Amino acid sequence: MTAEKSSNTIEISINTDVLVIGTGAAGAEAAEVISAQGYKVAVAGDGGQDIAQSGRAELIEGAHIRDFAGVAGDFRACFVKDGQRLERNFGAVVIAPGRNVRPQAEPFGLSLGERVITLGELEKILADGNARSKLGGAAVALLLNLTWEGDPQYTARVLEASLAIQQLEGATASIYAGNVKVAAPGLERKFTYVREQGVVCFKPMEKPSIEQTGDKIRITTLDSILRKTLVAEYDYLVVEEKAEPSDRDLDLAYSLRLDTDLEGFLPSNNVHRFPVNSNREGIYIAAPGLGANIALRIKELFGDGVKSVPADRAVVDPEKCTICLTCYRCCPHGAIFWQDGVAAISPLACQGCGICASECPMDAIQIGGFNDKDLRRQVREAVAATQKPAIVAFCCQNSALEAGRAAAEFGMDLPAGLKLIKVPCAGKVDVEFIMQAFVDGADGVMVAACHEGNCKAERGNLFARWRVNEIRKRLEALGIDKQRLLFTTFASNMAKGFAETAAQFAGSL
Amino acid sequence: MKSQNGKVMVVGGGIAGLTAAWELSRQNIGVELVEKSCFLGGHSIGFTCKATDKCQQCGACSVEEMLANVVDEPLINVHLRTEVTGLQNGDGLTVSLTKSDAGPAGGGILRGFSKNNRPLYVVGQDAGDDIPEGAVKITELGTEARLEVDAVIVATGFTPFDPSIKKTYGYGQWKNVITGLELERILRENKSLVRPSDGKAPQKIAFIQCVGSRDKGLGHLWCSQVCCPYAMRMASVIKHDNPEADITMFYIDIQNTGKEFPIFYEDVKSWLKFVRAIPVDIYQVEDERLKLMQLVEGQDAPAMEEFDLVVLAVGITPGADTPDIAKLFNIAVNEDGFLDGGSAATAGVFVAGTAAGPGSIIDTMAGAQKTAYEAMKFLGVTK
Ligand SMILES: Cc1cc2nc3c(=O)[nH]c(=O)nc-3n(C[C@H](O)[C@H](O)[C@H](O)COP(=O)(O)OP(=O)(O)OC[C@H]3O[C@@H](n4cnc5c(N)ncnc54)[C@H](O)[C@@H]3O)c2cc1C
Ligand code: SF4
Ligand code: SF4
Ligand code: SF4
Ligand code: SF4
Repeated sequence: MTAEKSSNTIEISINTDVLVIGTGAAGAEAAEVISAQGYKVAVAGDGGQDIAQSGRAELIEGAHIRDFAGVAGDFRACFVKDGQRLERNFGAVVIAPGRNVRPQAEPFGLSLGERVITLGELEKILADGNARSKLGGAAVALLLNLTWEGDPQYTARVLEASLAIQQLEGATASIYAGNVKVAAPGLERKFTYVREQGVVCFKPMEKPSIEQTGDKIRITTLDSILRKTLVAEYDYLVVEEKAEPSDRDLDLAYSLRLDTDLEGFLPSNNVHRFPVNSNREGIYIAAPGLGANIALRIKELFGDGVKSVPADRAVVDPEKCTICLTCYRCCPHGAIFWQDGVAAISPLACQGCGICASECPMDAIQIGGFNDKDLRRQVREAVAATQKPAIVAFCCQNSALEAGRAAAEFGMDLPAGLKLIKVPCAGKVDVEFIMQAFVDGADGVMVAACHEGNCKAERGNLFARWRVNEIRKRLEALGIDKQRLLFTTFASNMAKGFAETAAQFAGSL
Repeated sequence: MKSQNGKVMVVGGGIAGLTAAWELSRQNIGVELVEKSCFLGGHSIGFTCKATDKCQQCGACSVEEMLANVVDEPLINVHLRTEVTGLQNGDGLTVSLTKSDAGPAGGGILRGFSKNNRPLYVVGQDAGDDIPEGAVKITELGTEARLEVDAVIVATGFTPFDPSIKKTYGYGQWKNVITGLELERILRENKSLVRPSDGKAPQKIAFIQCVGSRDKGLGHLWCSQVCCPYAMRMASVIKHDNPEADITMFYIDIQNTGKEFPIFYEDVKSWLKFVRAIPVDIYQVEDERLKLMQLVEGQDAPAMEEFDLVVLAVGITPGADTPDIAKLFNIAVNEDGFLDGGSAATAGVFVAGTAAGPGSIIDTMAGAQKTAYEAMKFLGVTK
């Protein structure tokens, strides 16, 4: 797959086929835009005949991913369909997330039925032409963001449906809302219009109590503006549909080694992933309207099918590797695989964070531009050359280094003995470097990372913090003041924060 | 280097313009990036990091990163302190550029917000020799030229609502009534929150939401989308720094911050007092404190409460240059006064970012990528 080009870059030929998982609107859009770039697209999921008919993409229908391996440019997916195994290779994967929809009748002690329906059911009634016979003359109450926070898309659906009801002869719609989510183009105007058309919106102070007796639904609220208990009767109640991550996405997250956010939605809550990236190169998360964004990332990744990449981004010494799996487990970008019985790192998927190099018990991994010898030399020089107190600050190049350099450039006061050492990620700061700094005579050592949740390598900052905490314990055991080692976090725009933290630290030494 | 795939002019160097320029350069398209002020970055390059013990995904550091990308990209040619004054539509588009009148007056010195602003300092015409290293005189900044390009992306951004229009808030009259934008600056430049009047740490703080947005009286029938998120995030920063701070937020509806909002909101609700009412009047009382009067849910008479500091969560309104830009590029203006992105009557003219309506940094970045993609399609670089 790889051929040597020069000593420091290699050319990799990339499989430019794309797998799109999910046949809904987001999947169909992604498939269309990607295939328009001239790349071959296969869509996996249930249904999706319209995608197949468009001729834009092949449909792998009803197949489920059993195994998934490989790295960007060379993924291998094994599907199972009707008991048969089907193996296919792809250069990139797009996941169009699904949603489990949970009707919210139960939080009010109700159950779904003829009179208590979900928004989805209401929309079907409104769409199928029989709305008039069913809802004509009816009083309908719609619940909005009372049991969950919802989002502008959901609010838009409720407004749309209320308006449609209000326009039916004799029918009225009332909305009982928590926070109305109008943060999308045109929605505040729509909300205003809907009320002008006669839809009433109550914003109760507390969760309303709702009772069903026969065909009637009675809602009791404490109105926030009128400050009175209000009781109203309706013929229909439309309960909320709370969106939750789909089981399929949770499975995919596991088998494709993708991070989710705390609610279980793909990807993790990290600005570096927005709008379409995941923690793995070559795997993208789709949403309606983001087809072009995905196409751009795939174009950048694939180019014309051959990519020049630095050969030494992260390299395993096969002589030293004992196949302990540590690196495989800790690589946040899924860049490590097995080749010829030892760990190997994909130069395309690797982001050069160096977490693996610091965690490898055999010191078998070196990071291009940040090899251990160089870093050790930098530590030695930093300690030797400076005024007191001598502070060695290991700074993540994405955040703390930028902040520190900005502080210097803006002429802020920085301790004279402070020396910044650039690291690709705080996760590359080995225990050994920190100890060496103290042995070489540093008065203080600062490990400066990104804020939790902002690390490009997702967990590099957490690794760094764990290591610092461990070393602090060790220092204490050795009778050395543990305050001489500081773990701290910055964003690139925190010049002032960097200067103040550094000054405080110097003062404390 | 491969030959270029055409040339696009991007007007406006905020996060929308930076992102569009960067995406175009990824596809080997040359960019002429025109910025009216002396510095790239727009509003958001000056924002504060809103992390507490965790990043709160405000996006401000993404602007810093994008600016660093752009200034190092040889395919992007930057024209600071420059405006577009003419457009001719022939074979391609011929755009006339003229120096703008932005910049420090007299002997004044301006500094960019980011170390990646180049130059970092711009000095007025009358500045003496005692100026920062690398500073550039405004007379030397700006482009006068006619450039041929294949397409134009307009990314001229927004104007924050000016709360002095709402006279009863006393903005500009009472020192301790500030805007969200001013709070961004205060938090960025001081480690802790200080009151403008006396530099002391305020204990009792009020945020008033929807100032200039969702306001029928003003004809502003839009939600600015960013002010709930920035207000809650900055309130979190203040509370994290000073756990004694007593913070109240007056609101209509709370909008989502983004991913994991339900978790974030639960936490915020545990220490921030949410009051579903918008105060009508602010008076200054003793010690330059502020008395708010509002009609509160659950009470018959108007309620009065005093605060040390009041933050007006000002929203996004159409960019000041919108009418001129609309005329120059023949772009329709929508009913809210923003540029109507899809309507440019001149082939090859596109709109990105908050010039077309409110949006957060990350929304703006996603949208600008899409606009860049549309321009690529127009150029035939993509299909
Ligand atoms: C108080 C406040 C706080 C905010 N906080 C956050 C936050 O924490 N997180 C978040 O995601 N969003 C936040 N936002 C929103 C954020 O500011 C916008 O999303 C972002 O700035 C939009 O970028 P833009 O490029 O569209 O516009 P702008 O930032 O306005 O940039 C437009 C650029 O175009 C230039 N320009 C204007 N006219 C011309 C012309 N005629 N010719 C050439 N150049 C021109 C301007 O000088 C400027 O550089 C906040 C907004 C406000 C008001
Ligand atoms: S951590 Fe080191 S020893 Fe273990 S598998 Fe990876 S390279 Fe080999
Ligand atoms: S350097 Fe980081 S991204 Fe690369 S293989 Fe190691 S842990 Fe993975
Ligand atoms: S996204 Fe915002 S809060 Fe997070 S690190 Fe960046 S600037 Fe700070
Ligand atoms: S984001 Fe919040 S404060 Fe801003 S206009 Fe919308 S509802 Fe009002």
